[in-house]
Amino acid sequence: MPRTYEEELKYIERINSHCWRIKKGFVPNMNVEGVFYVNNHLEKLMFEELETASKFGGIGGFLPGMKQIANVAALPGIVGKSVGLPDVHSGYGFAIGNMAAFDYNDPKAIVSPGGVGFDINCGVRLLRTNLTEKDVQPMKEQLAQSMFDHIPVGVGSKGVIPMNAKDLEEALEMGMDWSLREGYSWAEDKEHCEEYGRMLQADPTKVSQRAKKRGLPQLGTLGAGNHYAEIQVVDEIYDRFAAGKMGIDFKGQVCVMIHCGSRGLGHQVATDALVAMEKAMKRDQIQTNDRQLACALIQSPEGQDYLKGMCAAANYAWVNRSSMTFLARQAFARCFNSTPDDLDMHLIYDVSHNIAKVEEHIIDGRQKTLLVHRKGATRAFPPHHPLIPVDYQITGQPVLIGGTMGTCSYVLTGTEQGMQETFGSTCHGAGRALSRAKSRRNLNWYEVLDELKEKGIAIRVASPKLVQEEAPDSYKNVTDVVETCHAAGISKLCVKLRPVAVIKG
Amino acid sequence: MQKYQFVVIGGGIAGVTCVESIATFHPEAQILLLTGTPLIKAITNYVKVSKFLEEFDIEERPFSYLAEQYPNLTIQNKVVARLDTDRQVIFCMDNTQIQYDQLCICTGARPKLLSETNPYVLGIRDTETVESFQKKLSTAKQIVIIGNGGIATELVYEVEHCSVIWAVKDPHISTTFFDEAAARFFLERIQLAKEKQKLNEKRQKYETTDRLASTQSSTGNLCGGALGPDWAAERSMKGASPQPRQVHIEYEVEVKSILTSEEYQQRKSSTSIVQSSNEIQWPVYVELTNGKIFGCDFVVSAIGVAPNVELFLKSTNFTLGADGGLLVDAHMRTSVKNVFACGDVCTAGWELAEHWFQMRLWSQARQMGHYAGKCMLAYANNEQDSLTMDFCFELFAHTTKFFNMKVVLLGKYHENDMKKYENLIRMTPGEEYIRVTLKDGRVHGCVFIGDTELEETFENLILNQIDVSAFGETLLDPNIDIADYFD
Repeated sequence: MPRTYEEELKYIERINSHCWRIKKGFVPNMNVEGVFYVNNHLEKLMFEELETASKFGGIGGFLPGMKQIANVAALPGIVGKSVGLPDVHSGYGFAIGNMAAFDYNDPKAIVSPGGVGFDINCGVRLLRTNLTEKDVQPMKEQLAQSMFDHIPVGVGSKGVIPMNAKDLEEALEMGMDWSLREGYSWAEDKEHCEEYGRMLQADPTKVSQRAKKRGLPQLGTLGAGNHYAEIQVVDEIYDRFAAGKMGIDFKGQVCVMIHCGSRGLGHQVATDALVAMEKAMKRDQIQTNDRQLACALIQSPEGQDYLKGMCAAANYAWVNRSSMTFLARQAFARCFNSTPDDLDMHLIYDVSHNIAKVEEHIIDGRQKTLLVHRKGATRAFPPHHPLIPVDYQITGQPVLIGGTMGTCSYVLTGTEQGMQETFGSTCHGAGRALSRAKSRRNLNWYEVLDELKEKGIAIRVASPKLVQEEAPDSYKNVTDVVETCHAAGISKLCVKLRPVAVIKG
Repeated sequence: MQKYQFVVIGGGIAGVTCVESIATFHPEAQILLLTGTPLIKAITNYVKVSKFLEEFDIEERPFSYLAEQYPNLTIQNKVVARLDTDRQVIFCMDNTQIQYDQLCICTGARPKLLSETNPYVLGIRDTETVESFQKKLSTAKQIVIIGNGGIATELVYEVEHCSVIWAVKDPHISTTFFDEAAARFFLERIQLAKEKQKLNEKRQKYETTDRLASTQSSTGNLCGGALGPDWAAERSMKGASPQPRQVHIEYEVEVKSILTSEEYQQRKSSTSIVQSSNEIQWPVYVELTNGKIFGCDFVVSAIGVAPNVELFLKSTNFTLGADGGLLVDAHMRTSVKNVFACGDVCTAGWELAEHWFQMRLWSQARQMGHYAGKCMLAYANNEQDSLTMDFCFELFAHTTKFFNMKVVLLGKYHENDMKKYENLIRMTPGEEYIRVTLKDGRVHGCVFIGDTELEETFENLILNQIDVSAFGETLLDPNIDIADYFD
């Protein structure tokens, strides 16, 4: 019998002003607890979402974030807690903004493609320039046009950088090393990228033909939807010292942010794995609370194949972002009649927010190897961590948070507290809570649909878009999200950026 | 006799892309492009990459620029008289003979005209016919447009200051692209004045070279390369009427006959039609199957195209597809050895992917041209076994604009028997229309009108074939960020 909202609340307990715990029993089979980070506004949204789902028995097949966090806590081999970052919202399998780590050496521990996302290694990179907003304002249209000219956008767009099947194989294996070899990347770019832009466990043979075919024409393209490139200016500097280490020195400084992933190739790798793993789950006697949480034992052939394919797809995404970096540098150079070098267009950092990583973490005083799933979550390593570049050793890893296209973006830095509480993970952007909007009937329009129905055509009608005033305020905006992370201590605010031009499909 | 490894007949987008493809992959290839009409100056994103990648230029250049870069690429203005496919020789009208190793026919298709001889009936296909149309339009007060496809739909929107009578044979407009509900969605916009084009939209541009001088007389019957996207954008489509917008639509009609002014007067005097004293005298009248007769300055026939195959059938027995085009296999080969075909002239004869079908679109002509070039090269180097079809043939995808709204069509959005499938619809009047067709709980085809931002998500859903039946119509709930959900 389904629980009432009041009954559900019994499992949710406040830890502090920014953090709540989800107790075992909230959903069946929880191995660990869940935890989620919020501020006042975000807290309201989380609970409203749960209440709506309780009252109406779900929201059309979509689960509230709290439930998804808990379902993940029920997966075999999970260690620590299933963590919901402040931007957590409903996603396929795992919620977006959910971090979950599994003991790599536990034979029962699993890996799940839903915990990575379809767009494998969707991520963000930030380039700086030595230009000011004043330099760019008069050239804005031209600059945007130049970017458009260089970076193909939209569904069905074809890449500009010539590439054949052999190039793709090499790119899948070598990641940014391929870009470097071909001259699309600067050597220093590698230093400022997670994994140095190449995951060594990548194996192109674990990427299907179909995935490769999908990937070949898309290299160096932005796609559409929520992928974009933005010309931004520094709006505020919160941590002058850390910003200085990144080469961000003054308000009004111009930067370029590129947000995209592995597109169709990643999607196919994820889809292929979901199919293969669903088959193997029976054999290995793995049960989950949600069919979308299809997974495999990390050490099984399906698990290992997925990880190797995922690494190859991640490499592809880095090659993609490198290609776009190259194109953006060319666009600027052309516009300002200069060179990318003279414009100081260095890569500040590149982060992934849809990926699974094998990392070493300390749990209860002991070092353990963990498989950390970060879906819609960003790695945020603290100062002195061996895996971050030399120039960020004192300040911690830069974390790039792309807001929704057209809104502000942020740069944060990783903290020790984050390392302890969330295995070095923080948010990735914005989100939207599920809500039930009032449906608006417009008789004229529905007449036409009734006519279709009379003809025997099966239609189901979704509610129309609502006007701003009517739209429910279920939006978890990026500012609330990063301020929550800062207040919770899991990452520190460093810089705020404001968009000046957007390039999108 | 001239001899070339690769010969391509036809200077439209398919032919030009085919040549571009061969030249890019094999710069030393001996290529000849034969065109009897002004060459499409297809703006190619010419990529100049220097040895150490210090310089990387994306420029829009005329296609002829490629000819300057590749010394072994020749373009000749010639009209083909006949083919001898046994000896692999092309005979031109000016008596030159050309020997080929591999030939690609890219002669496109011509508009079906209601009347081949009536000077008041125009077809729109290439720049020349558009210019002719523009000229006639500038003094016109009323025109009749016959047809219900892309050209007709675009034209109805683009024409200003001229009354338009739109006669379609279907119960609703734009059937090639839309269902009734989508058609109704657009009807509201037809009467609105044309809006300014939105800025910051990047689209592939094209132009043609200047008219050829002396060869014009011999190319009277030939049609130039088809119009590309946004063909109307930069052109003035203004008539002579004071009212900016006036569109009247007649449904489920066909043309019964076309009458001259005299014939119309005779018709009127023999019946008892009351004639108003200031009734305008039009040069031509269109009689529709519903009995109505409309006078106008001229008629636009936009009822589809017919592949230009006749010339080749005269000398060779090519297998044709059901729609009259040259049938080609999965390697773009016709039934005749060493002869390929692509673009509007061909009919796709391979086993089509589940979510793809052929439509005579600019974008498909381009994709086919590119792939055909690769095929020709593969066969020339005996590497045909390693040929795999380009991924673009896996999923039908077309982006266009109708009535100044973005339209994206994906997959099998238009099954003949809609009853077999489930459809999810979301309509926000004046803003957007979305229809997603499901087959067995998976996305099968989509129509997106307006700035929905959903194309990429649904492109992936079709290609991934994820089961979305659990969501029902909530899949399209505007309050759910579905793009993020499946990201």
